[in-house]
Amino acid sequence: MTDQESLLLSRRGFLAGACCAAAAPVLAPVSFAAMPGDNRFVTIILRGAMDGLDLVQPYGDPAFAALRPKLGRMPDTGLLDLDGFFGLNPAAAPLMPLWQARELSFVHAVSTPYRNQRSHFDGQDILETGGNDKSQKTGWLNRTLAVIPQSGRRTAIDINASMDLILTGPNRVASWSSQSNFALAEDELAFLERLYAQDAPFAEALAEARSTDISADSLYSDGKRGGGIADMARLAGGMLKGDYRIASFSINGWDTHVGQQAQFRKAVADLSTAIVTLKDSLGAEAWGKTVVLAMTEFGRTARENGTGGTDHGTGGLAVLAGGAATGGKVLGQWPGLAPDSLLDQRDLMPTGDVREVAAAMLYQQFGISPGNLTTKVFPGLSFDKSSIYLRA
Amino acid sequence: MALANETLAAIRYGYGLRPGETAPRDAAGLLAQLEAGRTAKLRFPREGVAGRRETATRIISLRAAESKATKEGKPNEAIRRQTQREAQRIYRQDAMARLAQAVYSPLGFHERLATFWTDHFSTSAMKSLPMRMVVPLYEAEAVRPNMAGTFARLLKAAILHPAMLIYLDQDQSIGPDSVAAQKSGRGLNENLGRELLELHTLGAGSGYTQADVRAAALILTGLSVDNRALQVVYKPRFAEGGAITLLGQDYDGDEGEGQDHMLMLEDLAAHPKTAGHICRKLVSHFVDDTPPEELVTPMLEAWTRTSGNLTDVYRAMLEHPRAWSDPGRKIKQPFDFVASGLRAFGLPETSLTDLSRDMDQADVDDGAVDKAMKMASDMAGAVAGQVTGQGAGQMEGDAALTGAPAIGGETVANEAKRRGGRANSLTLGALQRMRQPIWQPPSPAGFADQASVWLSPSQLTERISWSRNMAKAYGQTIEPLPLLDAALADAAGPETRKIIGQAPNKLHGITMVLASPEFNRR
Repeated sequence: MTDQESLLLSRRGFLAGACCAAAAPVLAPVSFAAMPGDNRFVTIILRGAMDGLDLVQPYGDPAFAALRPKLGRMPDTGLLDLDGFFGLNPAAAPLMPLWQARELSFVHAVSTPYRNQRSHFDGQDILETGGNDKSQKTGWLNRTLAVIPQSGRRTAIDINASMDLILTGPNRVASWSSQSNFALAEDELAFLERLYAQDAPFAEALAEARSTDISADSLYSDGKRGGGIADMARLAGGMLKGDYRIASFSINGWDTHVGQQAQFRKAVADLSTAIVTLKDSLGAEAWGKTVVLAMTEFGRTARENGTGGTDHGTGGLAVLAGGAATGGKVLGQWPGLAPDSLLDQRDLMPTGDVREVAAAMLYQQFGISPGNLTTKVFPGLSFDKSSIYLRA
Repeated sequence: MALANETLAAIRYGYGLRPGETAPRDAAGLLAQLEAGRTAKLRFPREGVAGRRETATRIISLRAAESKATKEGKPNEAIRRQTQREAQRIYRQDAMARLAQAVYSPLGFHERLATFWTDHFSTSAMKSLPMRMVVPLYEAEAVRPNMAGTFARLLKAAILHPAMLIYLDQDQSIGPDSVAAQKSGRGLNENLGRELLELHTLGAGSGYTQADVRAAALILTGLSVDNRALQVVYKPRFAEGGAITLLGQDYDGDEGEGQDHMLMLEDLAAHPKTAGHICRKLVSHFVDDTPPEELVTPMLEAWTRTSGNLTDVYRAMLEHPRAWSDPGRKIKQPFDFVASGLRAFGLPETSLTDLSRDMDQADVDDGAVDKAMKMASDMAGAVAGQVTGQGAGQMEGDAALTGAPAIGGETVANEAKRRGGRANSLTLGALQRMRQPIWQPPSPAGFADQASVWLSPSQLTERISWSRNMAKAYGQTIEPLPLLDAALADAAGPETRKIIGQAPNKLHGITMVLASPEFNRR
């Protein structure tokens, strides 16, 4: 189905439903297709601090194996080699076809300007508000809407139904949720277990609920979670295929302090499902005009901890996918994992600003001027047309 | 663990802390609420007591007329449907108002007592269609005005209300030797007689016999309900004559006077077993499933000294140090959990009226929604299928919160339905799922009160799920730790504080505040 056909379909449904005209631009389908504004942009917030060193493992770095005795892999132990230095966690195998089609890239060692505190709440606030600190009160993707040329013709959607700060602000955003029931992420369950560890009857009730998966609306089923993520991505893809050009949603489950291997596998499966489903539901043509940026509040410690996990760190990893993304590369400036190269001798040293990655994509997709990007969208960011993420 | 008095008073004796509200710090402060409660605004019945009597009798009369017409072969389906719908809506609005009452009244102890006594003298809105409208009226006019005076007065007000007589089938009970029985062949219904002894006064296993149950039922004969006027009436033709002996006491059967049941209720209220039953039940409700005798003893003394003056009985409990120690042994019942969660967020009262309106709107638009849904599913492609995909939406249940995008036949009416579903999943629907729908106890014994009942795996799952829905609905402008302080103050343990501060995302941090053991215990 072409864009025009899908637009016709949705327009007809729209008129038949006799809904509010304010919700969508009334345009002839042909002029819509001809508009210079066919590009799409999706952000996925990976909440809980995604371990970039686990997703894209620098197996070629001489210090890596010693830092990650349990979590680290090599190409001969299942790691999916990307470029002879980095390899992809095998849990992300569903993404390999995109890598091979040059529709997937990674940006290593990036972070927000947030330093030293390593609090999820503050880290996510800064990631979503896009400032140098917590002074910004609205989401950067919301502010973006005001500076897109001809922005009245484009609409954005928050697939999480109103919780995400990134799209919160003065500009109009539609907020939707798929109707699927949603299961808790593994790290959220681990936190509940900790919360209840002090109270035996609560701990027992939770353990039993998890083991029996009692009700149809259970919070604990992996299957339900996968289905929920797929529904969310399908909803986003469908909306973007129609009138929407910007969408955002979150994937939880990345706070892997204990037993990371199993938890991470599930979270990566969620991310893979989201990206692959987005591609499928957008269709080839729209996917070709789409960039998906998945990013997290900060990375995790370079060294494994004593409980098979990792703790809050600094330098992290961003994921770029889509037909409009320059694919098949691990971008960024690799700082190395030698002890002196680490930040505070513990974290991957951030060598790039994740906001610059976002700014480059907004510039590329919507033609937003660097002046607007560095003042209104990301106040305090250095970005111009020579950005390495544009030359990539 | 010792808590600040204000914290303990709000959590153990009220519906929890609410930002901007000052909780009482001692027995006198809590008891002062009883006086204030007399004149405080009551949010249900929505039309007020007199207005409700008018509405209810009008609807009941309409249905009676329709029943009569049906018997004569002229049924009017529209009137049946319309009255049913109206009664159902009145009930739903009152139930939302009852929730709002618990959330927004600053008189938490007064409100908790109203819940306690409404549950002690249980009636159910599910008994019949008229009861949807009568049960809220019952709480407002029989229970609430009488819970600070003597137990005898409260007992008489509760038993001698149409709601109780209908609920426990007293209107169906006829003395076997009465004039009416000889003509109709109908007979005695022991339901109210039994529950009066077992639940309302003496208590189960307190030594009465089956003969006493029957005697109580016989003494109650003659009491009935004028359904159209919603009044208790005494029908001498239903009354059993002759002397009846209950618990060794003779009731003479002064036919026609209808005073025997009043004497019986007074005697039962004054019975020592009743005092023991009620005092222990109060303590096990507020303090601990196993009532500490040190706390019960002074209450019994107060009861004896004042002939069952309830304010004095509450005072005896509240002035004892044990009433202020050892918190956390009870689990909040679902209604209390939901009410205290809504309180913790400090939401303005418009938040609940908005939810109530969303539910009304979804209801009003039912027909249009169904049509729109049909149209949407006929027309829509894969995308629309996702967007309009129905599902109960209990966990997510999210409506379009801003904007009304028009993709694939999504309509305004459809959005109303979503909003209604979301409002329901935050309030009445959540209580249904947690097994405590408002004014619908599972039996005349009321809702279970033991901590263990409310801490099952499925209960916990529902509570976590509701907490997450609350976080999504109201969590945008709140941080987890400030919410923890607002909700629990010093009742939040250090470990809980630490874990919530480290939550992997705000949504889950806020969820964990409400799902924490401290927030579910009292």
